[in-house]
Amino acid sequence: MSDSSIDDLLRTAEISCQAAIKAGAEFADSFVERGRDLSVSVEKNAVDSTNARTHASISVRAFMSGGTGWWSTSTNSEEAAKEAGRRAAELAKAAEPDPDFVSLVSPEPYPDVPGIYDEKIAGLSAKEVASWITDNIDSALDTASDALVSGDAEAAWQEAALANSLGVTAVQRTTHASVDVQVVVKRNGDVGSYYEWDSARRLGDLEPGELGAKAAAEAQRYLKSRPIRTATLPVVFGPLASRGIFLGLCSAASAEDVQRKRSFLVGRNGEAIASEQVTLVDDPLVPGGLSSSAFDGDGFPHRRLTLVDRGVLKTYLHSNYTAKKSGEPNTGHATRMGIAPTNVQPTPGRKSAADIIGEVEEGIYVALGYPAPDTTSGQVSALVDAGFKIEKGELTYPLEKTMVAGHALEILKAIDAISSDYREEPGVILPTARVRSMRVASGEE
Amino acid sequence: MNDDTIREQIERVRDEAAQKDFEFAEVRYAASAHSGLMLQDGRADRAGAGRRAGLGVRVLRGGAWGFASTESPHAADWLSCLGDAADMSTVSASRQEEPVVLADAPAVLDEIHTSFDIDPETIPFERKLAAVRGYEEASAQAAGERVANLMTGYNDARQLEIVCNTRGTMISSRTVRTLVWHAITAQDGSVRQRSREIRAGQAGFELVEQTPAQELSVKAADRAVALLSAPPAPAGKFPAIFHPSIAGLLVHEALGHNAEADHVLAGQSILEGKLGEKVAAECINVVDDSGLPGSWGSYRYDSEGTPGRRRAIIENGVLKGFLHSLETAGKMGVEPTGSARADGSAHRPLVRMSNTMILPGEAALDELISDIDMGLLLRAGQWGYVWCEKGQYTCHAGEGVMIRDGQLAERVRDVSVSGMVLETLANALGASRDFELEMAGNCGKNGQSMPVNGGGPYVKVREIVVGGQG
Repeated sequence: MSDSSIDDLLRTAEISCQAAIKAGAEFADSFVERGRDLSVSVEKNAVDSTNARTHASISVRAFMSGGTGWWSTSTNSEEAAKEAGRRAAELAKAAEPDPDFVSLVSPEPYPDVPGIYDEKIAGLSAKEVASWITDNIDSALDTASDALVSGDAEAAWQEAALANSLGVTAVQRTTHASVDVQVVVKRNGDVGSYYEWDSARRLGDLEPGELGAKAAAEAQRYLKSRPIRTATLPVVFGPLASRGIFLGLCSAASAEDVQRKRSFLVGRNGEAIASEQVTLVDDPLVPGGLSSSAFDGDGFPHRRLTLVDRGVLKTYLHSNYTAKKSGEPNTGHATRMGIAPTNVQPTPGRKSAADIIGEVEEGIYVALGYPAPDTTSGQVSALVDAGFKIEKGELTYPLEKTMVAGHALEILKAIDAISSDYREEPGVILPTARVRSMRVASGEE
Repeated sequence: MNDDTIREQIERVRDEAAQKDFEFAEVRYAASAHSGLMLQDGRADRAGAGRRAGLGVRVLRGGAWGFASTESPHAADWLSCLGDAADMSTVSASRQEEPVVLADAPAVLDEIHTSFDIDPETIPFERKLAAVRGYEEASAQAAGERVANLMTGYNDARQLEIVCNTRGTMISSRTVRTLVWHAITAQDGSVRQRSREIRAGQAGFELVEQTPAQELSVKAADRAVALLSAPPAPAGKFPAIFHPSIAGLLVHEALGHNAEADHVLAGQSILEGKLGEKVAAECINVVDDSGLPGSWGSYRYDSEGTPGRRRAIIENGVLKGFLHSLETAGKMGVEPTGSARADGSAHRPLVRMSNTMILPGEAALDELISDIDMGLLLRAGQWGYVWCEKGQYTCHAGEGVMIRDGQLAERVRDVSVSGMVLETLANALGASRDFELEMAGNCGKNGQSMPVNGGGPYVKVREIVVGGQG
């Protein structure tokens, strides 16, 4: 990769915008990318397949009286760029006007976001990527000799350019590396399993070494799972499960959903929607963060945002369109197709995760599961994929056929502790969170 | 590139592969063109279209797979792709338990296209918009002042897949798919409920003309409005009757993924070692059938060039077979079932379902309900997933209806349910003669998304865990 190749992408983006304007569009923007992924998949302790994927694309949006035309294609030649611009303009003319559309993003300086591209990842061989996952087969077997390991390792690079007809030009190179491992142990007709992962933008942030051992140790803890009786109980969500609650809340804070009246957070801006324990920051500028970048899908500069401050919803997540429609500040959360949070960071609390569990007389601990609310109704009804019964402050036995339910606003307001210690992935903070009481359905008589 | 040029380039890569020390090589070209529009709250302000095309090359060398793909249209890059795939197979060979041996399959030469009545490409934008607007207006009328948001979408896609391999197979498959959907958010004060309906098939624009608003948008609107005043579902263990859409979800998520032979061979299926054993109640018969005309999940040939067909998974409660690719059939020493499907050119074929269903039984719905003192009828299947290795699954129902004293009673809100696959199937108490296959959707596996369909009769189960709040 060289500066000239990314300059070529930017030129292609500009050509497609110019073609859209020439074809009659009032505004246009274009996102052009190319990249390569290497991935290795493992099944039953052996490599199943090794894959190399080379990709490229152009995606053009053209606007006519606010009506939007989209055209996407999987080649990024100059000829394809001109066609993409022309086609997008034709579609924009066919679409009906949208009086809420004001204009596109204007040029602004972008922040420097270091650590989202690493030459070492871009230059990896498939053999090196394979070692991340095959080493984990060995570490899992060292921990449990009957472990059945499956999973994937992946390394990817992408270079991308975004341009619009108002003069915005933005380029970025990114890399991504990930490893996920699932371990299954089968003993005497019983099955225990667990899943672990690691993900990074820089090779130095990737720590794949112990995932197999960790997953194998956990898988054995989930043998002899059983249901409990249906009850209303305290529920402690571990680092990987609490993420569902917080990301679900961020999704419901999409200004597009709010303006269209299909979010349970309509009319809640400025209100207490969660307990004072809950502060959520969305920070796309964290060096090396998994969702870090200098600009959003509209080409608007990224910035740090406090979404929830001690339980109070401070803003909705905006794109250029929703911000201009409502006259509110743009928060820079556009994707090319909608609105999404970036690096979500709950502020840690004062108690340790061990103390949060230790204070529960009777309850459950959710290790894996995705208890995100329906963004419209706010209802939560989710399976505990992996979890434990808590008795007298101790994790006792693993759970089976156990579900948690409630309304998001009641659940958020019932969060009575967020842990001071947390799992940290690049840019992302994953604490333990406790909900004072929730409906827990299960299968025991 | 025209079709002849594409085929020539594919054959050139295949012929080059045939000169190498590969046991097998497959060159697969996939191209698609799509168009769509969305109408929201009275305005069709978004229209989109696009094209993708690329080449995927898979080689088997020394019993190990390598796969590479490119979206470049250039012949030189296609040949490089072959070299990449060979390099990848070397990496796979470094950690092999046993070499891959493919099942025998005869070479096939064929050129097919799915049938449709009205080519979507011939339909002007205005006519598509008029149809979509009709759905929206009917929904708005049905929901009246309760409407908070209406979204209606139309999409059509034209796909070409060319499968060419070193066994001599050369198949060109052209497919046209059309989809319409409607989502409504209904509101009463601060209470909001959303409901969604989809109709999709291997069809042209006739799918829209044959889908009345009553079956799509009005159905969604009536449900959303009714749920506004419905209480939450109860929590706990209850007897239940699954609507055909939930039966379709259950058979796909809970059973179907476990019947994919790659999961079985990986030691990750609850059905491992149970072939020929009773795994379900006598009333449960399950098939996966890729040959249903017009169904969203159908295809004539899979992505390895094996003809698709109807495959029995469970007959009268007994496990009869799994879904196979050339590789899994080779490992298990059985016939391939034509179940290897790939999502475009950028992915290798995996074992996948097509149209998966529980077959109808003899009972009437009333008979199934009549002896339940306290239970639920679960309707409007939405999504689900399974942890194959344990057999623990969950399905989400868009609504429920309480059953009290053998009668349908009040409606309850959307809720997820959970169970263990084999327990649920063994606890099935009956299947209705009423049957629906209307769960068209896209199934995700290992990052690939494939069109599938699911369905069944009303199925009664002794108990299921309901994740409600009541």
